[in-house]
Amino acid sequence: MTGNQNPYLPELATVTKVIEETPNIKSFQVVFNDAEKMKNFTFEPGQVGQLSVFGVGESTFVINSPPTRMEYLQFSVMKAGEVTTALHGIYEGDVIGVRAPLGNWFPYNDMKGKNILFIGGGIGLAPLRTLILYMLDNRADYKDITIIYGSRTPPDLCYKDELKEWEERSDVNLILTVDNEFPGWTKRTGFVPTVLKEEAPKADDTIAITCGPPIMIKFVLEGLAELKFPEENIITTLEARMKCGIGLCGRCNLGHKYICKDGPVFSLKQLKELPSDE
Amino acid sequence: MSTQKLKEIIKQVLPDVEAVICWQEGFDKLNVTPIFITSPEQAEKVVWNPLCAQNLASYLPSQKKKVAVAVKGCDSRTIVQYMQEGLIDRNNVVIIGIPCKGIISKKKVQKAIGNEPVEDVSFTEGSVKVKTPSGEKTFAIADVCPSKCTSCQYPTPIVYDQLTADPIQSDKPAESVYADVAELEGKTLEERKAYFLSQFDKCIRCYACRNACPMCVCQDSCIAETRDPHWITQKLSLDEKLMFHMIHALHLAGRCVECGECERVCPMEIPVAKLKKKINKEMKELFDYIPGVNPEDKPPMYIFNVDEAKIKEHKL
Amino acid sequence: MADKGYLPKEKIKEFVEALGKDATVFAPCLEGDTIIFRQYTPDKEISLDRPANTPPKGAIYPQCETLLSFEFKKEADNPQKMDVELKVNTDFPKAVVFGGRPCDARGFTVIDRVFIDTDTADPYYKKRRENTTIVTKCCNGPVAGCFCVGVGGGPAVTEGSDVVMTEVDGGYYLEAVTDKGKAVMSLPMIQDGASYEAKAKAANEKATAAVRNPFPEGADKISAELFDSGDFWGNVIEKCLSCGACTFLCPTCYCFNITDEQAITTGDRIRSWDSCMFQHFTLETSGHNPRPAKHKRFRNRVGHKFYYYPEKYDGAIACTGCGRCIRYCPVSVDISEIVGYLRDPKADPKAWAAKKEDAKN
Repeated sequence: MTGNQNPYLPELATVTKVIEETPNIKSFQVVFNDAEKMKNFTFEPGQVGQLSVFGVGESTFVINSPPTRMEYLQFSVMKAGEVTTALHGIYEGDVIGVRAPLGNWFPYNDMKGKNILFIGGGIGLAPLRTLILYMLDNRADYKDITIIYGSRTPPDLCYKDELKEWEERSDVNLILTVDNEFPGWTKRTGFVPTVLKEEAPKADDTIAITCGPPIMIKFVLEGLAELKFPEENIITTLEARMKCGIGLCGRCNLGHKYICKDGPVFSLKQLKELPSDE
Repeated sequence: MSTQKLKEIIKQVLPDVEAVICWQEGFDKLNVTPIFITSPEQAEKVVWNPLCAQNLASYLPSQKKKVAVAVKGCDSRTIVQYMQEGLIDRNNVVIIGIPCKGIISKKKVQKAIGNEPVEDVSFTEGSVKVKTPSGEKTFAIADVCPSKCTSCQYPTPIVYDQLTADPIQSDKPAESVYADVAELEGKTLEERKAYFLSQFDKCIRCYACRNACPMCVCQDSCIAETRDPHWITQKLSLDEKLMFHMIHALHLAGRCVECGECERVCPMEIPVAKLKKKINKEMKELFDYIPGVNPEDKPPMYIFNVDEAKIKEHKL
Repeated sequence: MADKGYLPKEKIKEFVEALGKDATVFAPCLEGDTIIFRQYTPDKEISLDRPANTPPKGAIYPQCETLLSFEFKKEADNPQKMDVELKVNTDFPKAVVFGGRPCDARGFTVIDRVFIDTDTADPYYKKRRENTTIVTKCCNGPVAGCFCVGVGGGPAVTEGSDVVMTEVDGGYYLEAVTDKGKAVMSLPMIQDGASYEAKAKAANEKATAAVRNPFPEGADKISAELFDSGDFWGNVIEKCLSCGACTFLCPTCYCFNITDEQAITTGDRIRSWDSCMFQHFTLETSGHNPRPAKHKRFRNRVGHKFYYYPEKYDGAIACTGCGRCIRYCPVSVDISEIVGYLRDPKADPKAWAAKKEDAKN
């Protein structure tokens, strides 16, 4: 937390930039109104925050800017419910509330010296983005970095400028795909799990990190199992309806673990040891 | 006894349905609990006695397949209302009708025995004997029944496929139905308001009344919880509680089948049915309509007549 | 200060009013046939005849409370810009919970582990808890549904209480459990109690013997296989109405909702009790719901109390056996019976599946 005694009390923050990523996803760059707090703020890649639109409510989003770039915190929001719709009505200069950082993070130190395979779908690239950027900022610590990312159509791809940048980098292997043929799209088509199968990356010395819609994750996990990825080398980050963000309100549990506090980052091995509602 | 007959009927209909919904003994002798019977051996567990208060017809709209259900006369009005409102497919329900001479209010018995734990309960014609650590007490069922039984007009189910015993006729005068509303009407508006506010002040917003109500069809989109529209907040103020109960009552205008489940299930013992009954009386006087008695009827709030016989129009 | 005392019955009102001198007293008050914990005022009638319909949980953990208030303010020199001002209430006066039962007092200890013994403690609960003295009435015997002795409690256990009172000889024998409790014993109407101790002990033993234990000796492990069986849950919980009576009457349930309630330029962010039995409790914006079916929700509730919580807190059970969820369930769902099945060493998960198969044939 930001040092507040009261874990429910958000920091007031100003939105400095709004980026329209896709027709229904916007990214918000925010800085705390209290410059001192902004200066002293620290977090780890994968941690989340609760954004408040006062009068409407709070929702949880991953901090998708990396801790290596602290001019602002970035959150990406897909317009879906009450809070996200209100956030989409926020303009640059508006004040919102931020409770962060919450939850655990990607075990990026354990990944040092290994090949990294990112598999993302849609807005699921947001939590991967923070880690990708962190790793690119510490490029020498990691071996091959492969990113398989897909969305329904090309306009639905997030962070288009960065995708272009990564595509041009020789030390990143970016594979983009969209579900179906689309006018002007010359790259791959097909669902992410299918592309994963076609690419068949080697499991040796590789950590796979995946995030996307539940159905994509399900088939990606099956694909990774076929490719003989050990369960402890498959990392995902989960979502659930959350209110408190501090493991108290009781709705985001998997057995005795709370996604908001003990997660959102889990290895497949950890998940398999927990009771599931599914 | 009709329990034996009930078991026979259940075993007979079981092969044609996914489940038979009936009652079995509950956690103590003063409680029964619903059972969804799927095997002949489970049928042996069923009971039929004046403790069988739960209106099992309430489960029907959520059933995906064909089921059978045991209903008392009062419960059958729920089914009739479902038919009027198109909430069930009659072909998917086997109705096992039970002629009933009156049930027991568990709350009244508990009060009468000083809330002692119950060791045994037995029935003889028209009375119930309750054994507790401090001894036995016998009550006439008429003295410990819910108020709906004191004016019951439909002791035999209105619709059924099978009947567990010979039909019985009501011996209660039709005027008695709204006798308890008269008491309310005798009060001034201010007194009525004060009465309802003091009652609703006990509400803990658990929504047992709503969820047990067979005619509360909004369920998970209830105005009490939804934020779209955001008419009721989650605050625990009396205003919010009153608003919820008023909307609940108004949504049941001309639809409430007077099964009394809302009141029976209230853990805070709020007389939640009273308001609904008062509205039903108004509906009867205005539209000459009684909910849940004729499958061919349409609830008055579902239809529109240019000229209502008993509503004075402003002839503009 | 003495830690044993005696209070004649006719002095109860005087005692409660003395407790209320510098504190808010929450006491079981009779309203019609209902007994509810209310803020005591002299016009109210206290009833200790049976456990209250509600536990006293709300005295320390209110069903609804304001976490923070917000106000929108326009900047005078830049009317385009809207500022937000936040205010937090941190003033929690001294309070006394009077006349709860041992199961009710133990309920607070269950919530303490979650809300206080954590690095993100709940400041509202924590401060109220620190400022509250709990004066508990031991039970003379069980009422319908009680099973405290099956979950490590009993009609006279002291855990969570500061003072316990046992009914003897036209009054109450009082025993201080904590230093906070000792302070209570110095009130002037408290007489010397040492001579009542033996009688109180006997009364409490008698009461304890009268409470049912639904779990047979040695049956303290939940069968993981049965717990994971959808057939089992589907079967035992089909009758559930998904209302919140069980959770709102529970002395240990603590799940909550946070909502913003706004009026023009001001508003409150409030925390209100929520129920894991409600379908929308886990409903996500996307429409996905990890627990869409009532049997999944009920499984989580039982799991939380008897499986997950013990796993996290060294075997402690998040149920105090008060029996309210059984007593007041609209359809008489009996959680002790369900946990009994789950713990039955002879439990056969296939038995539940088999029943459904039989029916289909």
